[in-house]
Amino acid sequence: MFKDMARLLIALTLIAALSGLLLSLVESATREPIKEQRRLQMVKALSAVLPEFDNAPDTDTVTLQNGVNKKGEPVEVICYRARKDGKFVGTAFKMIAPDGYSGNIAVMVGLRPDEQVNAIEILTHAETPGLGDKIEEGWFKDWFKDKGLDGTDWRVKKDGGDFDQLTGATISTRAIVGAVAKGLQLYKDNQAKIQAAGEGS
Amino acid sequence: MSLKKIFTRGLWKENAVFKLLLGLCPVLAVTTNAENGLGMGLATTFVLLCSNGVVALMRNIIPSGVRIPAFIIIIATFVTIVQLVMEAWTYELYQALGIFIPLIVCNCLILGRAEAFASKRPVFSSLVDAIGMGSGFTLALFVLGAIREIFGSGELFGVTLFGAGYQPMLLMILPPGAFISMGLLLALMNKFENR
Repeated sequence: MFKDMARLLIALTLIAALSGLLLSLVESATREPIKEQRRLQMVKALSAVLPEFDNAPDTDTVTLQNGVNKKGEPVEVICYRARKDGKFVGTAFKMIAPDGYSGNIAVMVGLRPDEQVNAIEILTHAETPGLGDKIEEGWFKDWFKDKGLDGTDWRVKKDGGDFDQLTGATISTRAIVGAVAKGLQLYKDNQAKIQAAGEGS
Repeated sequence: MSLKKIFTRGLWKENAVFKLLLGLCPVLAVTTNAENGLGMGLATTFVLLCSNGVVALMRNIIPSGVRIPAFIIIIATFVTIVQLVMEAWTYELYQALGIFIPLIVCNCLILGRAEAFASKRPVFSSLVDAIGMGSGFTLALFVLGAIREIFGSGELFGVTLFGAGYQPMLLMILPPGAFISMGLLLALMNKFENR
């Protein structure tokens, strides 16, 4: 009986150990490409939302504290800074809209020094196909271009604001509008820190 | 059983999706378009091929008392490999299939083939069985994905099929559309089979 048990245990342990070995090999082979893919994805999003730049914004960063999350842990926002000829031309950072129709929506918000939106990009979302996922379309993202906290009411029209809600996707629209507005506010409150040269990286 | 029979049976007579109704969770969830269906089918086929091969290879070593956990470890290993490889080299497909990749582990088609076939047969016929079953599964996902994409977005592989006047049936790419098209397909098949 014990001998049987030992045999089963040894067999299973061996199989698990072999599988672990194999996985560690595959992991080490894919680690670099995966890192590179994620970096490319980030650079792509940054180039889409920032004004023209000639530095490498993905390595020129400054980390801000932006309130606390539900668990009371501080929320960190990494600001990527774009420079042209050494001059600060804009920053981009990821805002999480927690109030999407199905889960969080991650938005990359690109801002210019004049406190206006340069462009936005939707990074991840799980909104309804055909309705809420219109937030990915260019014409929707263009609504936010060149708008700042002054002169724009950052609410959807249904709530009395300036933004048309997408048909059948008011919640998605409201989530994005709210996230971008929060991003603008964050920039306004931390402008000096974000523009300070050399910090972070 | 001849190799040819082992292969073709997975394609049609014992098609995992249409006949055995196995692994329906990924089938219904990812088939919002033809490309996702095809990608998920191929990923599953790859895992099935590896797991069938390894299980058949080790069928005399694995004690029958722990065979199920052993199969699951083997399957989970290959699923993780697929996930890492897809993330490294086909990032967009990886993002589209998202959480469904890890779920291949609990696709009962794969465990079912390991238990019912590969654990009792030599390596080569197990591989043939995996290719047959996998192709049948891929075919089913592709057909379902294509139908839903054509009706739901008026496209196939992202290419617009109809003129601008076509109003897509949004329902088809939403979850209910999966059940509706699956049910209609099964009904249609039963009708032809019973003739």
